Amino acid sequence: MRQTVSASPHITDPKNSTKRIMLDVLIALCPCLVCATVFFGYHVLINLAVCLLFCFGTELLYGLIISKNFTRDGVKKSSVFDLSFAVTAVILTLNLPAVMQVSYWGLNVVGKNGAVAFSFDTVVLCALGSVFAVALVKMLFGGLGRNFANPACTARIFLFIAFGAGGAFNLTSSLFGGLEQTGATWLATRDTVSGAMLLDMFLGNTATAAVGETCAIAVLAGYVYLSVRRVIDPRMPIITVGSLAVFALFFDVLPSGARGVAVLTETAAHVLSGGLLFGAVFMATDYSTSPNTLVGNIVFAVGIGLITALIRAFGNFPEGFSFALLIMNLVVPLLDKYIIPKPFGYVKKKREKPHKTKRANTLQVGDKAVGND
Amino acid sequence: MRTKTFKKGIKVPHNKFTVSSPLVECPTPDVVYIPMCQHIGKPATPIVAVGQHVKAGTLIGKADGLVSANIFSSVSGAVLAVEKRKTPLGALCDHVVVENDGKNETESLPPLTDRSRESVLRRIQEAGIVGLGGAGFPSHVKYAPKTPVDTYIINAAECEPYITCDHRLLLEHTEAVLRGAMIFCELLGLKRYFIGIEDNKPDAVAELRRKAAELGIPTDVVVLKSKYPQGAEKQMIYAVTGRKVPTGGLPSDVGVVVGNVHTAYSAYHAVEHGTPLYMRATTVCGGGIQKPANLWVRTGTLYSHCIEFCGGEKTDCVKTVSGGPMMGFALDGGMYSVTKTTGALLFLSAEEAHTSGCNVCINCGKCAKACPMNLMPMYIDLYTQRGDYRSAVKYGALNCIECGCCAYSCPSKRQIVQSVKLCKKKIKESV
Repeated sequence: MRQTVSASPHITDPKNSTKRIMLDVLIALCPCLVCATVFFGYHVLINLAVCLLFCFGTELLYGLIISKNFTRDGVKKSSVFDLSFAVTAVILTLNLPAVMQVSYWGLNVVGKNGAVAFSFDTVVLCALGSVFAVALVKMLFGGLGRNFANPACTARIFLFIAFGAGGAFNLTSSLFGGLEQTGATWLATRDTVSGAMLLDMFLGNTATAAVGETCAIAVLAGYVYLSVRRVIDPRMPIITVGSLAVFALFFDVLPSGARGVAVLTETAAHVLSGGLLFGAVFMATDYSTSPNTLVGNIVFAVGIGLITALIRAFGNFPEGFSFALLIMNLVVPLLDKYIIPKPFGYVKKKREKPHKTKRANTLQVGDKAVGND
Repeated sequence: MRTKTFKKGIKVPHNKFTVSSPLVECPTPDVVYIPMCQHIGKPATPIVAVGQHVKAGTLIGKADGLVSANIFSSVSGAVLAVEKRKTPLGALCDHVVVENDGKNETESLPPLTDRSRESVLRRIQEAGIVGLGGAGFPSHVKYAPKTPVDTYIINAAECEPYITCDHRLLLEHTEAVLRGAMIFCELLGLKRYFIGIEDNKPDAVAELRRKAAELGIPTDVVVLKSKYPQGAEKQMIYAVTGRKVPTGGLPSDVGVVVGNVHTAYSAYHAVEHGTPLYMRATTVCGGGIQKPANLWVRTGTLYSHCIEFCGGEKTDCVKTVSGGPMMGFALDGGMYSVTKTTGALLFLSAEEAHTSGCNVCINCGKCAKACPMNLMPMYIDLYTQRGDYRSAVKYGALNCIECGCCAYSCPSKRQIVQSVKLCKKKIKESV
């Protein structure tokens, strides 16, 4: 039999592959998906199907066009089979409301009870978001591993900024069930936080901007799975959430005059509200858009916590996790450039103090007329 | 049991299938091809003429300079030729070809009467003892250090998968290893030495402790965590002593010398019995060989002869490797000779060996998490692929110990350490 000659190592970890990692992320997202469907109904599944279809199609088509190879072979060689498109699609679905309506389109089928039965607006927006995420954010910059920002997060911001004014969705409320029913998030209403409310936020809260943020337990389940499978560093989401709690405490909770138990409950509400938990586990741990060093990752995580807290306390929007993530994504190349770990056994070089001797050396060289320059 | 270790590194499957196969002698082949370059440094000069009769243990290659080593015939018979043949690394090297007459006459060095430091060191040099862990650095240079040394460690980690020959030596020839190490220890002017051993060899640990106590040899058996690359010199020193060898430095910079189990064994026989080094223990293993075994092989035996003795290759053998699967080198056939440094011959099946291509880097950072030298392999790979070697050096390319943890742990199966090796080579060329 023909033998291969190649450089060592001759074995690799067989259980470790890009596809397997993507599959693990998808599995970890399942509890969130189930919860979203339970709380927001079949709309979530429609959105998911649209996002999956368009993410898949965009990546496949992009690959075919770039390689100019429209044959069966070209399809086989396409990058879609690493499943990263599915991760983008699922995260995007979970980052959008169940129903998004654009007031000047109004292409919705309203059921007998006055609730939206099928929202064509939502389908269009999902498709648009998917194409934006995969083509513009991911593939244009070189595909998997080369994207500068989280595709799903950027697509969410794009949809929010481009269609928010049309009433499609905003980060403060979600439309579910029907046109009249609007659940405002705690971040927008700032009601007095009660124990029942916190429990509601923890178990399944319909007053969220995006469907994936509904249940903290589902997110935690995903977190545990990813940590056990060693897909993510379990410390990172904790640092992100922890730093947000601290910054929110000092920028928002204490200045707002909360005292006593209210300090605790309001900080807890901060942690459980908005896209923080979901994002900290599934989006801020994205490989290509987070630093590669431990120190870099800590700076990154604390930065997200800080910016989110700043936007929540002083910004125009009640929620700012996605913006914070996007901003920190852009800082990642800098973090990776300047934070380089010291190699094992590194000894600090003694600073070359004797500047004079150095010059004297050059002079000597010059005297002997052997200097190169 | 509390185990010491180093930071980072990876868990590799042990695959020590031959752990319970005792060392058996591989029958002598009809012809041996003994290379003159079995060590680091200058190749030895052949000193035999065609037709000359030699015995097993006759000096046939004389060390050329200080950093070189004597080479001995491994069989008795007539010299057929002195010819240039290819080594596994592709270089041409003088080989002395000896036809085995089957009489197995042996010749050994005169018994050592004077046990002074100088004469023991000379004996080590005469017997052609080199570091048998793989590098093959002449021992008489290593054990005459110019800087003060306060710690001597015997490296019995054997962290590479499959390989078990050192483990077998420790079990079957405990006394020889312990006494041989003591010889080196005394050469360094020390009274005590450490044995660093992974915790996947509890039987060897127990045997070493028992025998050392019985013989009254002052040694500390340090049990280390089974983790790759526990046997890498710098990692071994850190685990045992807590000292960090400075980047670009040598173990002697922190007053440590690390020696190999098999070297100690060979030194014992050279000093006590005058046996020169012409035979070594080798593990023949892997999913691609019929009968894995631990063999005593004479240097100059062709790999194909070992393969034959072990029942031949299986049909699904896709890779032949000399050395461990993590750091050994692949061969293109069995026409090479076993040397003093051949610790293992592996035959990997398609299931075990990774031969398919690589995908794009997904920036997961698993390589950086695995790197025992705390480097950033993904950037070294990236810049090397672009030809920007200077940037690669910034991320630590020159500090790499080439253990292969990065490439092993890469989910995209990128050839990271291979890139680093290329980068190091290019940098060397450019200087």
